[in-house]
Amino acid sequence: MDRAAFAPDPSTSHELAPLIGSIAAGDRAALAALYQRTSAKLYGICVRLLPAEADAQDVLQEVYLTVWRKAGLYDQAKASPITWLAVMTRNKAIDRLRGKQLATDPLEAASDIAADDPSAFDIVEQGQERERLAHCLDELEPQHAAIIRAAFVDGLTYAELAARDAVPLGTMKSWIRRGLQRLRGCLEK
Amino acid sequence: MTDTPISLAERDELAAEFALGVLDGTALARARSLAAADPQFRAEVARWSGRLAPLLDDVTPIAPPARAWSGIDAAIGGSPKPDNVVYLNRRVNLWRGLAAGATALAASLAVVLVTQPPQSLAPPVAVAALAPLAAMLGDDQRDLKLMASYDPASRRLMVAAASDMPTDPGHAHELWMIPADGKPRSLGTMPGPKMRAELPLPMAKQFREGVTLALSVEPMGGSPTGLPTGPVIASGKLERA
Repeated sequence: MDRAAFAPDPSTSHELAPLIGSIAAGDRAALAALYQRTSAKLYGICVRLLPAEADAQDVLQEVYLTVWRKAGLYDQAKASPITWLAVMTRNKAIDRLRGKQLATDPLEAASDIAADDPSAFDIVEQGQERERLAHCLDELEPQHAAIIRAAFVDGLTYAELAARDAVPLGTMKSWIRRGLQRLRGCLEK
Repeated sequence: MTDTPISLAERDELAAEFALGVLDGTALARARSLAAADPQFRAEVARWSGRLAPLLDDVTPIAPPARAWSGIDAAIGGSPKPDNVVYLNRRVNLWRGLAAGATALAASLAVVLVTQPPQSLAPPVAVAALAPLAAMLGDDQRDLKLMASYDPASRRLMVAAASDMPTDPGHAHELWMIPADGKPRSLGTMPGPKMRAELPLPMAKQFREGVTLALSVEPMGGSPTGLPTGPVIASGKLERA
């Protein structure tokens, strides 16, 4: 089946990519339009990962300021706009969760980002969209699949997952490592 | 943190764990320094991020509070400038000049047409389609006035308030185009007294003389339904500038 058919909203990428281009050219209204279309999704991710509302708002603001400053680095060939934004949001929220200090001046933070936090940008979609990932997670032991989901979407560490499921840390690590290995094998088939 | 060399398998495993977000302590510090220094490690993290990204589709969207946008807007210098309307007027005058030129061109083509076969009709039609458009948005009950101007060549729309915008804390002002089919399409929310947008091609095709522009009051972040949900506080029709 056509890959585009899996996209949640085929018009979204078409609408968002030109906005990111305009933002790169310094168009504030384009940033406002991008915010209008994407902020609920991104804020949902922030709230899911960060217990404190103030942190969630900080990270949301930092994401859009990063987009404002770094939109020119966005590469449509690597990822759709919404995936790029969602992964950037998640990575920043994880950094906040793990106690990585954000710079006090958000603009400064945004300008330094390429130098000190490459993970905030890097993403490569490989045409393995939703359905494919869902299929491959189904191939794993259900418990391992559930743990991988929880780790990514709820931001739990090895130690937190081990405590939550009342298993030794080493067991949790080997479950997840094995799960990731099998997941990659399935996705690369 | 350790500086012992890392095997390829270990490096890829660490990249997967880093992308998944399960690391903490020294393992996390090590992954961060590798991400900063090693492009191949970074590429592997990027691949894993791409693989796992669809999981984020399941997260429930939540509209952020209004102050989140205010903070961003302030940080990017979005405070309204008093010269907006002057600037807009200048643009409208410029486009009027262009439109007059286009009319003159159409007239001269019409003269040519007298002696040309009918297929030469195409150029004047194209010229007409590219004429700049403008609209004055208002409402009988309020003093609110906005001017919209649109340049079809660049597909750029600019809207600026010619009077004070109403302050509705916790609400957004969303602009809509209502073409001949009567179905409103969002042009985005106005972050302040002015907005600029470049219309996507499908929308630009319908953006022509006679189309209604309307501004409605919506929840922060814009209408949740994709159609206007709040009162329309100003509207007007597009005309040749």
